[in-house]
Amino acid sequence: MGSLHQIFHINRGGMLSLLQGLDAVSHNLANLNTVGFKGSRSNFQEMLTHQLHGGSQIRSTQRLHSQGRLRETGNGLDAAIFGEGYYVIQLPDGRTGYTRDGQFFLNSEQQIVTSDGNRLEWQGTIPADAEDVHINPDGTVMVKQAEIWSQAGTIQLAVFPNPQGLIAHGRNLYLESEVSGEAQLGSPNVGPYGQLIGGSVEEANVDIAEEMSSLITMQRSFEMSLRSFQQTDRMMSQIINVRRA
Amino acid sequence: MIKGFYAAASAMIARLNQQKYLSHNIANLNTPGFKGVLTSLEEYLRVSAVQPQAAAQSSSRLELLGELGLGVETTLELTDFSQGTLKSTGQPLDLAVEGEGFFRVETPAGERFTRDGRFMVNAEGEVVTVDGHYLLDQNNQRITLEEGEIRVDHRGEIFVDGASQAVLELAVFEDPEESLVRDQANLFEASGGLSDQEPGSIQQGYLEMSNIDPAEVMTEMAKVARTYEAAQKMVQSQDELLGKAISSLGRF
Repeated sequence: MGSLHQIFHINRGGMLSLLQGLDAVSHNLANLNTVGFKGSRSNFQEMLTHQLHGGSQIRSTQRLHSQGRLRETGNGLDAAIFGEGYYVIQLPDGRTGYTRDGQFFLNSEQQIVTSDGNRLEWQGTIPADAEDVHINPDGTVMVKQAEIWSQAGTIQLAVFPNPQGLIAHGRNLYLESEVSGEAQLGSPNVGPYGQLIGGSVEEANVDIAEEMSSLITMQRSFEMSLRSFQQTDRMMSQIINVRRA
Repeated sequence: MIKGFYAAASAMIARLNQQKYLSHNIANLNTPGFKGVLTSLEEYLRVSAVQPQAAAQSSSRLELLGELGLGVETTLELTDFSQGTLKSTGQPLDLAVEGEGFFRVETPAGERFTRDGRFMVNAEGEVVTVDGHYLLDQNNQRITLEEGEIRVDHRGEIFVDGASQAVLELAVFEDPEESLVRDQANLFEASGGLSDQEPGSIQQGYLEMSNIDPAEVMTEMAKVARTYEAAQKMVQSQDELLGKAISSLGRF
């Protein structure tokens, strides 16, 4: 029976990893319209220990950091990052978070905040009588007062040695980790930081066609694993009933 | 008669083994770089079937009737090394080999070979597989990449922001079926047999997908189900025959 149980184990593991893979696809599809969202893929891997076949498992869920498309919004406080940088965000618990979501708002204290109300870290202040705001590619924040544009401060971005090692904190925020390495701050428009494109946002980097085709392949693979499971079950029943009563 | 019983039972065991390999293949339909396990069978020993000559004649002479098979067994595990299809992913460290070559990786157990081209950079900037094994360059060294835009050309030279960082050297085997053994997840262990043939070209931003053909696996599975059933019936009738022989021959 050892062999039979091994087959069941292979089929079960295959189905389980596909369910997890489908979860990741659903998450990507659900965030199709989330600004600055980075999709992830499931890394299926063969399971083989001491040359004993074990089917497959998901070895890791890998976040893909490719650039998302830019969409113009016309909002002065929106700025998409075209490059590898991250905005530095002050979290309520005192920690520092990082995000690609460049949709900002002003709160009642004239601070630049994310849609969740967390403060963007930057050097400068927005005067109370500002009529309009614009963010330049090099990170300078321009404000318009009485028809005159003037510089109100600068935004610096963070880059990481290994952005795939950032910990997803939820709500589009990432936290630094040992694997990601320390954040290095710098001005946009030079080096790897990328440009800030004012009045635009970066759309999710999820490709709907790709996700749909993954969805279909995984669903079919699941069915096949299920068939294989059922067949193993039948074979087991036949071996039990080999001796007719 | 007992011979036939065992032959039928051996067929059942062989089909179970095939079912195991098919399940493993199905479970790895979505594993990039996966190479299917072949499910071939081999005939087990053959023996000579003999019949003692009629009692009237000399009792020591045996008449040869021909050969009798004793069943089947699964052969030593073989791998189907055919090329899988390439899928575009656009990821800079997704590499696919179009041709015969294998990536060489360093594992705690020694050098291993793989067609799985999903690489990433770890915290130290080293290029690793999804299992954390190190990709090796032509000097058998781990590859450390600076930050920047990664480009890999068809010959396996890796550039970061235009500056050459390392050159990959793929391993080619005279007869991979012969010299490579499935060892760990998606990795093969080699026992010599290296050749200096053309390793093929490396495609950046692509992954070689599993070489399992769903249609083939499903038809194989149907075949396994039916032959297993037939073998089971054979065991049953052999069992009945044996029962009859015991009960009726013993009656007088």
